[in-house]
Amino acid sequence: MVRKQWKFVSVLLVVMLSSIAILSGCTKSDSGNTNANANSNANTNAAGSNGAGADENAGSADAGSGEKIKLRLTGWGAPDEVAAYKFAIEKFEKAHPNINVEFQAISADYDTKLTTMVAGNDEPDVAMMESATIAYPLAEQGKFVNLQDYLSADTEVTPDALVPNITYSAEPGNVIGIGPGPETFVLYYNEDVFKAAGIEPPPADPAQAWKWDQFVDVAKRLTIDNKGRNATEEGFDPKSIKQFGINLPTWWGVYSNFIYSNGGDFLSADGKTLALNQPEAVEALQKMADLINVYHVAPSPLQSKNIPGTNVALQTKKVAMAFDGQWATASLAQSKFNYNVAPMPVLKQPVTTIVAGMFSIFKSTKHPQESWELLKALIDPDASLDVITAGTWMPSHKDWYTDADKLAKWTQNLPSRPSGYKGAVIDMLLNHSHATPTSYVKNFNKIMDVINPAMDKVWLGKQSAKEALDAVAAKAQEQVQGRRDVK
Amino acid sequence: MGISAVDGQTARARKKGTTSKRERKALFYGLLFTSPAILGFLIYTLGPMVASFYLSLTDYNVFKDQTTFIGFDNYAKLFSGKDELFYQSLGATFYFVVLRVPAVIIISFLLALLLNMNVKGRSMFRTIIYLPSIVPAVASSMIWLWLLNPDLGLVNTVLDWLHLPTSSWLFGEKSVIPSIVLTTLWGIGGTVIIFLAGLSGIPKQYYEAIDVDGGGWYHKLRHITIPMVTPTIFFNTIMTIIGSFQVFSEAYILTQGGPNNKSMFFVFYLWRTAFRDTEMGYASALAWILFVIILIFTFIVFKTSKSWVHYEGDRS
Amino acid sequence: MRESRLKLTAGYVALLIVSVMFIVPFVWLLRSSVMDLSQIFIMPPEWIPKPFHFENFKKALTVLPFGTFFTNTIIIVFSVLLGTVVSSTVAAFGFSRIRWKGRDMIFAVLMTGMMLPAAVTLIPSFIGWKELGFYDTFYPLIVPAYFGGGIFNIFLLRQFYLTIPQDFDEAAFVDGANYFQIYWRILLPLSRSAVIVVALFTFLGSWNDFMGPLIYLKSDSRFTLALGLQMFQGSYTAQWDLLMAASATVVLPCVVVFLVGQRYFLEGITLTGLKG
Repeated sequence: MVRKQWKFVSVLLVVMLSSIAILSGCTKSDSGNTNANANSNANTNAAGSNGAGADENAGSADAGSGEKIKLRLTGWGAPDEVAAYKFAIEKFEKAHPNINVEFQAISADYDTKLTTMVAGNDEPDVAMMESATIAYPLAEQGKFVNLQDYLSADTEVTPDALVPNITYSAEPGNVIGIGPGPETFVLYYNEDVFKAAGIEPPPADPAQAWKWDQFVDVAKRLTIDNKGRNATEEGFDPKSIKQFGINLPTWWGVYSNFIYSNGGDFLSADGKTLALNQPEAVEALQKMADLINVYHVAPSPLQSKNIPGTNVALQTKKVAMAFDGQWATASLAQSKFNYNVAPMPVLKQPVTTIVAGMFSIFKSTKHPQESWELLKALIDPDASLDVITAGTWMPSHKDWYTDADKLAKWTQNLPSRPSGYKGAVIDMLLNHSHATPTSYVKNFNKIMDVINPAMDKVWLGKQSAKEALDAVAAKAQEQVQGRRDVK
Repeated sequence: MGISAVDGQTARARKKGTTSKRERKALFYGLLFTSPAILGFLIYTLGPMVASFYLSLTDYNVFKDQTTFIGFDNYAKLFSGKDELFYQSLGATFYFVVLRVPAVIIISFLLALLLNMNVKGRSMFRTIIYLPSIVPAVASSMIWLWLLNPDLGLVNTVLDWLHLPTSSWLFGEKSVIPSIVLTTLWGIGGTVIIFLAGLSGIPKQYYEAIDVDGGGWYHKLRHITIPMVTPTIFFNTIMTIIGSFQVFSEAYILTQGGPNNKSMFFVFYLWRTAFRDTEMGYASALAWILFVIILIFTFIVFKTSKSWVHYEGDRS
Repeated sequence: MRESRLKLTAGYVALLIVSVMFIVPFVWLLRSSVMDLSQIFIMPPEWIPKPFHFENFKKALTVLPFGTFFTNTIIIVFSVLLGTVVSSTVAAFGFSRIRWKGRDMIFAVLMTGMMLPAAVTLIPSFIGWKELGFYDTFYPLIVPAYFGGGIFNIFLLRQFYLTIPQDFDEAAFVDGANYFQIYWRILLPLSRSAVIVVALFTFLGSWNDFMGPLIYLKSDSRFTLALGLQMFQGSYTAQWDLLMAASATVVLPCVVVFLVGQRYFLEGITLTGLKG
């Protein structure tokens, strides 16, 4: 019995193997050199990065001088963002007639796709990356070109020419990616709500930005229950709130602003210990949680599921103010109501966290210099002016903020750039910005895997920030691996 | 191993000890008919499976240039108790399976009975039941988030109005998994359609015989319908078990494993390990643990099937 | 079958209630597709668009090359459909109507193919296809359909074949028919409902498949509709109005195919010449 069945299996195996041989034989003769060195590295990782990705690049082995060069670029984005990239690529190709750029837009499951491509030695030359996901895992394995060398050698794009905090480094001196533009965090508000309540709106100048207590006071007065009473009045019913004072997203991007503003951090300065459980950070987090659970001026995480977009929430007066990223100006510009921006309320000093995507160059590229030129073209504000004026993006070059003519190009008379924009966004970015924790906290995701469930309890008011963070501090400390910005 | 859904014709053949001409012919044709499927398995399924098992014995990280064979270290780490999420996700997944499998089978069978009635607009009703299965998840997830919202959601509003206790649904640590089960029930259209196909295969004469004997609908259900669709019930049970153990997208889209990791399903954890943390070797070990669990459950159901699944075409 | 009035009415009412519950996501999708971006997410949802933005469809379908995506999807879906229906019915026949040594064991081994989470076989599969030189072609999406068409379908059809009495086969054998004739003349017609189910699932599965095209295709000239839909999601926000309009357009053919397909379900088979 058993022996008989084995016979079938072996017959089938032979058939299978021969069919594979036939299939692969066919393709080799069909598709020329695409497979030339593919079979030799059947073990995907063994071959290293030398030959990787190159076999698709139009046989550069026998490339003569002046040969056409093909660069592959992957990225994501909505159609208007993709259009901006395509426009930049077109300009780039015109300036470099021998280079042809193949752009692959992957807007969902980008990481899965890119991981698979890397596993199959099919890396692009230039890729858009996200600091919170696989950029650092790739960088730690030495997959990216160190852009520091190019930044130092280049005449146009130098570290000084870029706005602060949009480059990402694996360690000091090893730049792995440059952002196409920064994004700041701001306080949005509905001007009509303030007018109707007779309350002075928040000042746009960072030097005069609201202190936390001022902010809480206004938030109370702008939180209205179904009977029209506000949160400072007798009989106010926190169970039936019609208009919240503030919308408070509870992800790390938002709360990092307040931790930094209060002099706290995610990790200690030497990177050895967790700092989220230190008094400065705990106090900032507790103050945020109090907005929900003590003052009832912000919707709880459960309630905020009903408040999807900042634009809708403000327009429909579900909230009077909202914390959100600069990118929200794009949708706010399209909603027709009087909104404005102010700096985030200040605990000790005005701070905004800068978040940005990045472009990185894979080490496996055969054309690092051309890839660098492409990267420069992609972060060139001139090419993406449409998306910048629409509100979604901001320029990466500093002179677009300091040179009056250039600044006017993207901030004057635009619905996406209300009167507070200059103080709340530009001034904050240039003078009060802080790097995103994902750029310098090693093992960020694993640390947050421990912190997030604990913070869930804080936002729901089940535990104080101190209790919750103390309870997980030891477990989070196990995941601490240091900082990227100290040697 | 021998998962044998059908009665023991192989055993009988073995007893005889000889291979008759007819048996050899059957063997030839059997292999002929099934060979594309067997080949397909060997070429497209077995290779990647073997590869992933091998990877589970390594420290494979997609981005690393070097991969080291580490034997069963990954498995040892899993069972050492250090990986809390392993146990937590296993528990969450079992809870999900236990709640979901009976709910899906019973509800979809009842719906199929309803849709098998000769009512006007039946095609329309059948299509409507299937609609949620083809609406993109981005759209339908918005609906669940609204319906099950603790404060403004329709479900709690109705419960409140009826003076019934409300729940925090997807946002409560205790209620999150039952809530996810509830949302997946909108996707049972496929199971219902398979039941409908099963019902449509029941010969009319059988019912007519009961009519002649004067039996009512309960008689028909008990003595004709249910026995005749047991092969379909069997199929749907197996597939629902396999599918439920591999629950992923609900955690991915609706809850991201929260609150407090209470909806951290096994495959979601595995996916995160593989593609966010890029620890593919460890993720492969996780996958093979789940493989063994699913295999055991499938095996058990197959074994019990002999006593309750009725194959009209396979009586000896 | 005759059914009593009372029972019919009760069933009708039950069906109506269930239908209302099940149609909500679809209605939500349809109304979102003609809404203003700011109205889509108002909670609790508004069901009447104010104003109607029918131009969402025009915008959504012109901003991306949906014509190309549609052609590619059609090529893939119909190739997969043909392969799956033929090869899964044939395989299921071999696993149910012929008794041969090792049959159930091999079937059990094939079943294991469904039990390993796809997340860990994705990369080995990708590398395999790439080594064979089929990266960025439709072959990885189509060819497996011709080799069994998936164990799910084989298992489903096997269950149905096993319910059809053997008397037919034996009678046919006596008349000198061979296995192919029994497959073609007896099994396929009698299991029509199950074959339709397989065809419908295959169509819908292939039409909406996202992961396969994402992994195996790279040129956007080869992209499918499902891949095209994700292109409305941006780095900070999604263009929900256009996404919903495009999604509705992509889903509608599925609804039509389903509506038509299920009409061909059998109405209870009639076994002539058999006693009940």
